[in-house]
Amino acid sequence: MNENAKRSQDIKPVVIDIGDGAAIPSRGDRGLVSAWKLSFFFAVATLAYLLIFRPTPYVRLIKFLPDGILVTFQVTIFSILLAIVIGLLTGLGRISRNRAINLVASTYVEIVRGVPLLVQLFYIYYALGQFVKVPDMVAAVVAMSFCYGAYMGEVFRAGILSISHGQTEAARSLGFNRWQTMYYVILPQAWRTILPPVGNEFIALLKDTSLVSILAVSDLLRRGREFASESFLYFETYTMVALIYLIITLILSKLVSIMEERLSRHVTR
Amino acid sequence: MSPANPIIRVENVSKHFDTVAALSEVDLFVEPGEKVVIIGPSGSGKSTLLRTINRLENITAGSIVVDGFDLYSPHVDINKVRMEVGMVFQSFNLFPHMTVLGNLTIAPIKLKGMTRAEAEAMARRLLEKVGIPDKADVFPVKLSGGQQQRVAIARALAMSPKIMLFDEPTSALDPEMIGEVLDVMAALAREGMTMVVVTHEMGFAREVADRIIFMDGGRIVEEAPPAKFFTAPEHPRTQKFLEQIL
Repeated sequence: MNENAKRSQDIKPVVIDIGDGAAIPSRGDRGLVSAWKLSFFFAVATLAYLLIFRPTPYVRLIKFLPDGILVTFQVTIFSILLAIVIGLLTGLGRISRNRAINLVASTYVEIVRGVPLLVQLFYIYYALGQFVKVPDMVAAVVAMSFCYGAYMGEVFRAGILSISHGQTEAARSLGFNRWQTMYYVILPQAWRTILPPVGNEFIALLKDTSLVSILAVSDLLRRGREFASESFLYFETYTMVALIYLIITLILSKLVSIMEERLSRHVTR
Repeated sequence: MSPANPIIRVENVSKHFDTVAALSEVDLFVEPGEKVVIIGPSGSGKSTLLRTINRLENITAGSIVVDGFDLYSPHVDINKVRMEVGMVFQSFNLFPHMTVLGNLTIAPIKLKGMTRAEAEAMARRLLEKVGIPDKADVFPVKLSGGQQQRVAIARALAMSPKIMLFDEPTSALDPEMIGEVLDVMAALAREGMTMVVVTHEMGFAREVADRIIFMDGGRIVEEAPPAKFFTAPEHPRTQKFLEQIL
């Protein structure tokens, strides 16, 4: 191993901070009044107020939108699963000592980072759609995970590099090969560092799925657009859509922070 | 001086980092059952030399043959060689996500196809041997440094290696824990294990070593049995080093 590779493995990023997605509540803002609690209270109270005191059109709206919420979750979950697979491969590729693999993985990340997600969506859906016809949902999931796989790759890379090189040496000295070392020793430890940012990416991805409403996928936002274009109730519709996104992401960010805490407790034991 | 049947045969080995030579034309032959202690100032290449013996470190010239395997032949299955060469590190490097028992059993189970029951029985015997049978089910963070290092020794022994390499095994320990680790190593030596030890513990070297190797500047400067080495070192650099540390 050359010195450079060695040096880069000695650098240990402790926190993987990808400043996207809803703010994850930290241990610090645990008080009675926190930004999270305030937003959550505001969102739920507004929703309740609208449903109780302005039943028309809000009750009709809330009955119309759940199909879209379901689709939003479907796109998000399929995309994140695929993105995790792509991310793991990309992360491994980025730390690979094989020049060719490394170059492919790095180039992929570079391209994805350089092209706006909306343009990537159009590209996969319309431009490539000229040659291969795939269902809308599939195109949406492929496009989203193609993009998020690159970000996820960076998360995996940082997570893997955060594990001390001594762990690899100990495993290799016992006779484990590269893959066994990764599977039995490195990934189970890296997972703890990786999981919170993956949760973060999940939330960011969920929000970004609203972009697929541009395609013919009936997600939450598109259902809203359908409703608005029939009823012309733009203000009411988008208020409702925004509130639903907000409540979902707030709940998810809370879950991620709980998970984060559990994991860190597990580490200190 | 090339002994009859060495289990480790390091011949004319050099290693360069860019333009700096970490090892220059090093020869080292170790007989089965022999205990070799390598000492020298920091940066002398002693750890690097040790780490070439299981190929954690690559070499730029020369050859190393361990138990008949030519480590730098393109056809060698390095993982097979490493199963026969246990290594103990300065910083223990236990797997923090596994219990002590998990640390000891994972390699025999995954690499040697041992059943869990067999591996655990063996692991408990080894823990008995290193003096911490009651720690089987705790996680490494709960152990003192000395205990962690003894677990690390047991983990290496769990693969039933023919050779044990020790890379400054007590350098990261608090002084009061050094003894317990050296005791385990001395016991292992008495059982006839082939050992190559990089250490600063001169008392251990004097008592346990069959041969002491002094390195400086990536070269072996002097080698001698401990009695001669400590009382009548020949090379001025060895004399100077011993003056400084004794």
